[in-house]
Amino acid sequence: MSHTRTGPVVSFDNVSKHYGSLKAVERLSLELRGGETVALLGPNGAGKSTSLDMLLALRKPTSGKIRMFGNDPYHAVKSGRVGAMLQSGGLMPEVTVRELVTLVAGLHPKPIPVDKTLRAAGIDSVADQRVDRLSGGQTQRVRFALAIAGECDLIVLDEPTTAMDVETRQRFWASMKEEVAEGKTLLFATHYLEEADQAADRILVINRGRLLADGTPEEIKKRAGAKRMSFRLPHVPEQALLGLPGLVSLETRHDLVHIQTSDSDATLYALLDAGHRPSEIEVGSLGLEQAFLAITAEDDRANGAEPVPAR
Amino acid sequence: MRGILLLTQAEINRLRRNRRYLIFTIGMPVVLFLIFSKAGKTVYGIDFAAYYMIAMATFGAFAGALNGNAIRISEERKVGWIRQLRLTPLPASAYVITKILTSMATTIPSIVIVMLLGRFEGGVHLPIWQWIVIAVVIWLGSTIFAALAVAVGYRYPPDQAQPITLMLYLVFSILGGIWFPFTGLMGNISKGTPTFEAITIATDVIANKSVPAYLAIGLVVWLGIFAALATLSVRSMAETV
Repeated sequence: MSHTRTGPVVSFDNVSKHYGSLKAVERLSLELRGGETVALLGPNGAGKSTSLDMLLALRKPTSGKIRMFGNDPYHAVKSGRVGAMLQSGGLMPEVTVRELVTLVAGLHPKPIPVDKTLRAAGIDSVADQRVDRLSGGQTQRVRFALAIAGECDLIVLDEPTTAMDVETRQRFWASMKEEVAEGKTLLFATHYLEEADQAADRILVINRGRLLADGTPEEIKKRAGAKRMSFRLPHVPEQALLGLPGLVSLETRHDLVHIQTSDSDATLYALLDAGHRPSEIEVGSLGLEQAFLAITAEDDRANGAEPVPAR
Repeated sequence: MRGILLLTQAEINRLRRNRRYLIFTIGMPVVLFLIFSKAGKTVYGIDFAAYYMIAMATFGAFAGALNGNAIRISEERKVGWIRQLRLTPLPASAYVITKILTSMATTIPSIVIVMLLGRFEGGVHLPIWQWIVIAVVIWLGSTIFAALAVAVGYRYPPDQAQPITLMLYLVFSILGGIWFPFTGLMGNISKGTPTFEAITIATDVIANKSVPAYLAIGLVVWLGIFAALATLSVRSMAETV
């Protein structure tokens, strides 16, 4: 099920979506290749859901072009090659879980046996309950079951684990990994940073509708100045520190210096080479969360906007 | 097409379990017929029981097509089921087609039951072709209200769809002469409603009168108007379902 020879699975070419003066998505360009697991990471209101909605033909871009399997989004979705689960997707009321999964499987050109889907989604124990009497986490898993009810090559998930508790979330990602192991491409939106870090092999950071970073979790951390360093150094003018290589941000309080750096080794060596002898040196990794905050905050500052708090 | 049939089947199964829907489409017309069918002698030149049978069959079919559907569509839009369906290989138009097919399937029992009641309880005797013609007129006429239900359900959230549906339903059933026939000015207004047109076609058939063309044209015009409104609703809400 490799798509490397047949071009990208998904491509956004300069895609924008405007609602009046609000630019929900602005000139977004990206490509997903077959077999990738990609996280779309951004704070609330960053344009994640709008992007996925456009990919799934629920909304039309104001400008730009989206292709999926070399086709327009509508026909790609109708070909059954995409399984999708959205936050806003709902369930048909008054039917049992099994009836609903059976129905949706029946709409697929290549349905998967219903019992297998129920097991994969972890809802075999509630199969005969009515869908309108399930808990939030169970409802979310039924939505997931609907997304994987037919054979598909691409799975799109919008904040898939929102209503799930920790245990359910782990089970969810375990079953997700099985899907990916079959060679499927996975695109999911999240604002859980550790989720993107653990599950994805590529992260797209978006903020206020624009793509800010695209890389492996390690690259994203690096790009934001992925090491933090602190030490004590009395009587040193800030000017001297600002010239250090790799420096991303600097904060001093009395003789205590906090630094974010993209290359802690280079920063430290330069400091020592300049003849300084700092004490109490600590070097640590910046989590993806801080990396993400650094990237989006930098973007917000550059645009003179109030930072959007990440949840 | 297979997908549409599967979805229609699921919809019919749901409605069979829905008490509210059964009460509106079958319960009320049956009870009203049993109470009132002997309340008069003749009307519109036919036996009152026959008239009332037609009125109640129309009432059940139209109420079922409008009341049930509009609010259900509105609720299904609100919970995101329509959105979910759009992520499946089912074509975008399938949902609306399914709702109309389901409506047509579920109005059949209400029409048949009221007519059986008319025949065996109300003592209405008609040639077989008249039974068929009046049943088909009422049945096809109910699609007008299925289209109106789509127009309302797609555009308004449930808390607004409910009173709007109730108002439309009262206007069309009262003005249409389902409860009592109108004369004079109200009679002229009444003549413009699809409910009146369907009932009058049926009563004219029973009275062996020739059916005026304007009645049939009227039904087609109403269907055209509501279908256009439904299309507008679906199109304008396409990005928000």
